[in-house]
Amino acid sequence: MISHADASEIFISDSERTDWHDETLWFVRAKRDKVSKVLPEWEDLREHASQIKDHTLANLGEYLRAFEAKAQANGIHVHWAADAAEHNAIVHGIIASQSSKVLVKSKSMLTEECHLNDYLASKGIEVVDTDLGERIVQFRNEVPSHIVLPAIHLKKEDVGETFHQHLGTPKGNKDPQFLTEAARQHLRGHFLASEVAITGVNFAVAETGEFVVCTNEGNADMGAHLAKVHIACMGIEKIIPKREDLAVFLRLLARSATGQLITTYSSHFHLPREGQEVHIVFLDNGRTRQLADSKYKNSLKCIRCAACFNTCPVYRRSGGHSYHQPVAGPIGSILAPNVDKKANVDLPFASTLCGSCSNVCPVKINIHEQLWFWRQDLMSAGLAPAVKTVGMKMMAFVLANPVIYRLGGAFLRRFSGLLNNRLNPWYKQREMPVAPKDSFQEWYKKR
Amino acid sequence: MVQKTMSSRDQILGKIEPLEPVQYPGAFTKASEGFDFMASLAVVGARVVSPSELEELFPGRRRFDKTMDGLSLADVEVLEIDGEFGVAENGAIWLTEEAMPHRVAPFICQHLVINVTEIVPTMHAAYARLGGVKSGFGLFLAGPSKTADIEQSLVVGAHGARSLTIVIRS
Amino acid sequence: MRVALFVPCYIDQFYPQVAVASLELLEKLGCEVVVPKDQTCCGQPMANSGFASSTGGCDANFTTNFDGFDYIVGPSGSCVLHLKEHHPSQKIRSSVYEICEFLTDILKVSSLTAKFPHRVGLHQSCHGQRFLRLSSMSERNEKPFSKLQDLLGLVQGIEVFLPKREDECCGFGGTFCVSEEAVSVKMGLDRIKEHDANAIEFIIGADTSCLMHMEGILRRQGSNVQVKHIVEILNYD
Repeated sequence: MISHADASEIFISDSERTDWHDETLWFVRAKRDKVSKVLPEWEDLREHASQIKDHTLANLGEYLRAFEAKAQANGIHVHWAADAAEHNAIVHGIIASQSSKVLVKSKSMLTEECHLNDYLASKGIEVVDTDLGERIVQFRNEVPSHIVLPAIHLKKEDVGETFHQHLGTPKGNKDPQFLTEAARQHLRGHFLASEVAITGVNFAVAETGEFVVCTNEGNADMGAHLAKVHIACMGIEKIIPKREDLAVFLRLLARSATGQLITTYSSHFHLPREGQEVHIVFLDNGRTRQLADSKYKNSLKCIRCAACFNTCPVYRRSGGHSYHQPVAGPIGSILAPNVDKKANVDLPFASTLCGSCSNVCPVKINIHEQLWFWRQDLMSAGLAPAVKTVGMKMMAFVLANPVIYRLGGAFLRRFSGLLNNRLNPWYKQREMPVAPKDSFQEWYKKR
Repeated sequence: MVQKTMSSRDQILGKIEPLEPVQYPGAFTKASEGFDFMASLAVVGARVVSPSELEELFPGRRRFDKTMDGLSLADVEVLEIDGEFGVAENGAIWLTEEAMPHRVAPFICQHLVINVTEIVPTMHAAYARLGGVKSGFGLFLAGPSKTADIEQSLVVGAHGARSLTIVIRS
Repeated sequence: MRVALFVPCYIDQFYPQVAVASLELLEKLGCEVVVPKDQTCCGQPMANSGFASSTGGCDANFTTNFDGFDYIVGPSGSCVLHLKEHHPSQKIRSSVYEICEFLTDILKVSSLTAKFPHRVGLHQSCHGQRFLRLSSMSERNEKPFSKLQDLLGLVQGIEVFLPKREDECCGFGGTFCVSEEAVSVKMGLDRIKEHDANAIEFIIGADTSCLMHMEGILRRQGSNVQVKHIVEILNYD
């Protein structure tokens, strides 16, 4: 696997595209700033949302049980999956009883986390992703590079070429309006034919047993309302206590995500349609472990708005794929090590700890602090390269001993020219500081 | 299968220890007011017309009719339904399945017309007005279907209705 | 007022002029300044790299040098933040101040003799800004404020410009600057480009580490733009 730093270097080598990626996402952040500043209560709203989530996590078992009982009374089937494999098996079990071998799916990062599409393909079932961005990356055998804007790493030329290959649009046509219309016609056929629709869940209300799905395109609804079977997949952290809490979260979600006042569709699924089967699959997959660790439990408050992606100066200049995880960006960097420390040891270091992420987060997750905690835990677990461990221990030793520090400092200043070489990553694109003759302490002694 | 699912349920719930109690913050009470519904509609891309303008615009539109089924709605060009109320802060309109021929109706028609008679200021007021759940399906709908998935260029008419026309009736 | 001057290791070795300006400015403002001679490092380079468990020696040395002072003042937001958040001694944590914070909140400086008739671009270093709250943040819905700009307002002849994205990170980020070299440099280049658009002569800020990073890029570009710590300006007669 290629590390974040190496993947970023490749991404940045196309500086024009990097600038475009950075500017485009900065524009989204700027829209978020603008709409958030229209509401004088914005910071109170964030605090309120944060408290609702803290309260929910503190009583998660109770709220899950309450939701389950309500949903079942509403005629919805509830399933529990301990991990990705079980989640996929449950979904497959539900689909297997239907005759259709093709199903439609709207955006669900959770099914990306479980690699559901690949699993179902291995069982002879084709999943058609219906979110435009997700359909684009699916055609290209890629994964989303952003949880809200899945194809933000692509230019319209790329999409035009992809649609030319897969949908037969005229070669060279890169007009977003035209390409979107082509996808509309293509996907409408799938919506009308599919017996099964899979959606994600934005919020599940313990008080009522209903769940809410938000989209701008309307693809979740097109799928769910036409299919005989609707499967909604959700992480156990998506529960909220009361219906009125939706007011707080729906006010925050779209404003934080894209700078919209609200998503076009915020659909509240309460009872199955007449003759329809509705299933909910709860997934754990490490969430209970995260919940049990006081340093990291907060990350489960996330409502997947991606505001932290858009504000992150590192994400904007390295692209989502450099994070090699379904959820990229700052939040992905604190979620991923919980699932696999070794494979994600680079991610908590893909940050300058500038802290902007924590300040845009609508539920006030202390993202930058968790990045710092993960750095400690990963290094304590012995996952640092040997040279880094030795270097750090030596540095700690030198800096703890004033005499050695003074000698080392004088040596470094005297021979700083030796660092002007290509083995020094600093020197690759930057000059070293000019070493003064005297350190401050030497000057002060003579004063 | 059923056995295993049951055990995962107990296993998951068993791993969730109650954490240190955190007070539920109660209802949000600091909402500002003075939002302009018309301005919000413009932001979300809905157009507002008078009843007479509507007649000119969509003379052959279909009204809500319980006999329509999901698939036949795919051929409906213009559908007119009644919204329960609008929300001034974001231009969203609350719709329930009782006012639709089928749940897919507001999505699958090419152009959507919604009649609105009442407006509340914010989402907090909206949920206070809704109270408990009274419908099997309901939604807040704000503007026509849209996407910006290609280079962040806004395109209206992704999968759902290509346009939303609002008629405010007293 | 008795003040201990905290001179971070890299300032001691590579940017002594920043420590000199800090010392002179504090003395000018009537402080009795003590410079503990065996001070080294706050421990941040190790801690932010995931080796907080190895900073015991640094912490102990810091305590030995700075024990008993009510005011420990340093010209580096990042190092000061590290001490405030992670130093084991409660007394140290509550006594340490970033110098602009100290000038504004404790000394309540309302006039200076400094003159600096130049166009400068102000870089808001993240740790000072977002965590020490030296100024408001563009991503928060809050009343704008800036302790740095208030202090610069006391300097005669200066013209202060903010880059278009007024508080984006420069990409230094401690060991990030070498472990994520490509992103780090790209971030620095982008900051410099926005400052250049204002035709400034100096990039100034309250964190020498950010300035060192941007200086490295500026010098590689052959730019005439120089970097200066804000205390060098506040102390400039």
